[in-house]
Amino acid sequence: MLKPENPFLLERSLVVGVVDEAPGVKTYTLRLSGSYSAEPGQFNMVYIYGLGEVPLSISSLPSKRGSFTYVEHTARAVGAVTGAILSRVSTGSLVGVRGPYGRGWPLREAEGRDLVVLAGGIGLAPLRPVIKYVESSRGAFGRLNILYGARSPEYLLYKYELEEYARIPNTKLLLSSDTASPNWGYHVGFVTDLIEYIDVDVGDSVVFVCGPEAMMRTSVKKLLNSGFKSDQIYVSLERRMRCGVGVCGTCQLGHYFVCRDGPVFSISELGEYFWIEGI
Amino acid sequence: MFIGGLGDLEKLMLELKKLLGDPVFLGYKRGSTIPVFDEIMGISELPLEISDVQKPGKYEIVEGFRFRHSHSSPKWHLLPPVQVILTISPGYEAIDTGVSEGRRAVLFGVKPCDLKAIAVLDKILLGKHPVYTARRRSIVGVVVEECMEPSATCFCASVNSGPIVESGFDVAYARLDKETLLLKPGSDIGLQVLKSMGLERASSEYIELYKQMVEKAVDSMKRKLPDLEGVQRRLHGLASSQEFWEEISKKCIGCGNCNYVCPTCFCTEFIDRVEADHAERVATWIGCLTYTYGLVAGGHFRKQLYMRYRHYTLHKFLYYPLQTGGLLGCVGCGRCITWCPLGLDLVENLSRVLEVGSVEA
Repeated sequence: MLKPENPFLLERSLVVGVVDEAPGVKTYTLRLSGSYSAEPGQFNMVYIYGLGEVPLSISSLPSKRGSFTYVEHTARAVGAVTGAILSRVSTGSLVGVRGPYGRGWPLREAEGRDLVVLAGGIGLAPLRPVIKYVESSRGAFGRLNILYGARSPEYLLYKYELEEYARIPNTKLLLSSDTASPNWGYHVGFVTDLIEYIDVDVGDSVVFVCGPEAMMRTSVKKLLNSGFKSDQIYVSLERRMRCGVGVCGTCQLGHYFVCRDGPVFSISELGEYFWIEGI
Repeated sequence: MFIGGLGDLEKLMLELKKLLGDPVFLGYKRGSTIPVFDEIMGISELPLEISDVQKPGKYEIVEGFRFRHSHSSPKWHLLPPVQVILTISPGYEAIDTGVSEGRRAVLFGVKPCDLKAIAVLDKILLGKHPVYTARRRSIVGVVVEECMEPSATCFCASVNSGPIVESGFDVAYARLDKETLLLKPGSDIGLQVLKSMGLERASSEYIELYKQMVEKAVDSMKRKLPDLEGVQRRLHGLASSQEFWEEISKKCIGCGNCNYVCPTCFCTEFIDRVEADHAERVATWIGCLTYTYGLVAGGHFRKQLYMRYRHYTLHKFLYYPLQTGGLLGCVGCGRCITWCPLGLDLVENLSRVLEVGSVEA
């Protein structure tokens, strides 16, 4: 009888950088062992001693430097653990990390096709690695459209690099703010308004969506009306997640374990689960 | 099949002990009140001289010899209510990985529905959940007590989980009366043990009596799902009907009792137990009927009780089969009906599904 491996072991990780993103939102750079790797769209469980763990999507491409791998997490203070991260964790802090978990964005499937990235608010975090990945393998993809909005300009993430996305070859960047604001040169309204300005080959493209659930539902409705098929549209879902490996059961959505089978799903995989509230 | 007396259970235990390398025995342990699944030191600790009386929202122990089960089940051992999964220092060093090899154990006197529930949990947790996996792999023998007289809340026959067993055990016994046992082997080990006990082969009269009692047990289960496939088809069609689920769950108070007594419910919540110089990461049961299930900081994915009641029902009858390669999440033990403080009746509700649900392919 072999002692089973414990999937809940945590790696001790040093925080090596913190960036202020928006009110109550910061991006942390974590140093992990050199063997760590992750795909865009996957997440880690991040542990704060004595408080617990939270699932945080990985908001960068893991980068190897020396004998370490560095990843970024963008966190917003909403509960006890994320509140503690925002108020207590700084450069030089330790945190516990395990991961990566879940199934990320289907980038292989997107290769050779046009790609739309559609994000609302903090929903850009799991999509930022997609943009970085396309940028680094630019020839492998067709046109890239990035549609991103927040409730006001100050809530946009990655402001220090956002406008540079427009300079990625063959890329269209469309930004929105729900409310008008001085010096705002982009669309005023919901990010879902931008869907009508999408400029890709609808029949030969994929769309990756992440944001609040209501925003994703509106987005998917509009995308379907624009001619995208349900197997071309992918969303990244959030749920109550505790284990990351499909055994604690709290992230169930229909018969899926969101942590293991997702968090990225195509709309065709989700079927009615996407539309029925609270299923 | 062999015939024996109640005293032969003692011999059975001794033979298994010899053959299986001195395992511990786990079974329904008779305490001062309600039997709880635990380690048993001998036959005298088994609930052989009591019966339970179960009705919706009611449970009572009386004198007799027909104990079925209690709020407890083998889940108490395999996936205990509180599991320490990691002990960690403030400096984020693992002090104890929490998972140890389980002690070699024999399940003794578990029920057919219990056995089915373990098969269901295996599909979800075995090889994935470290505590479950260690404890499950340490089970080296299984003795089943078949049910010759189901309780009033039992419906195992409707979901193919009882009242007798066909496979997945070493020895099964049925109590033909208070003193007489019919024993059957379910494995090579089981056969070896029964032979070495020097038992007589059961005569055709005894086998005939056994068959009649099984038939009677099945017939006596008044609680029946008449058409499982029909229920499943209609549940598909009803998934989006808020009105239906609000109506059917209106008695539910969201206490989660049904989850905790259910032998297949496995959902757990992780919490930190903080001591002076370390923290324990602890997994504890969480019921999907309780308010916290689906609650996250900044939102709630199943805010209304009808949504959680719907998940409970759809999970048992639609989603478990998809998660386990075909096994239902309900084994028909009736614990959720007995231990519901309101006596909410799952079978009655599923019958309502058949009445109102429109058929959708």
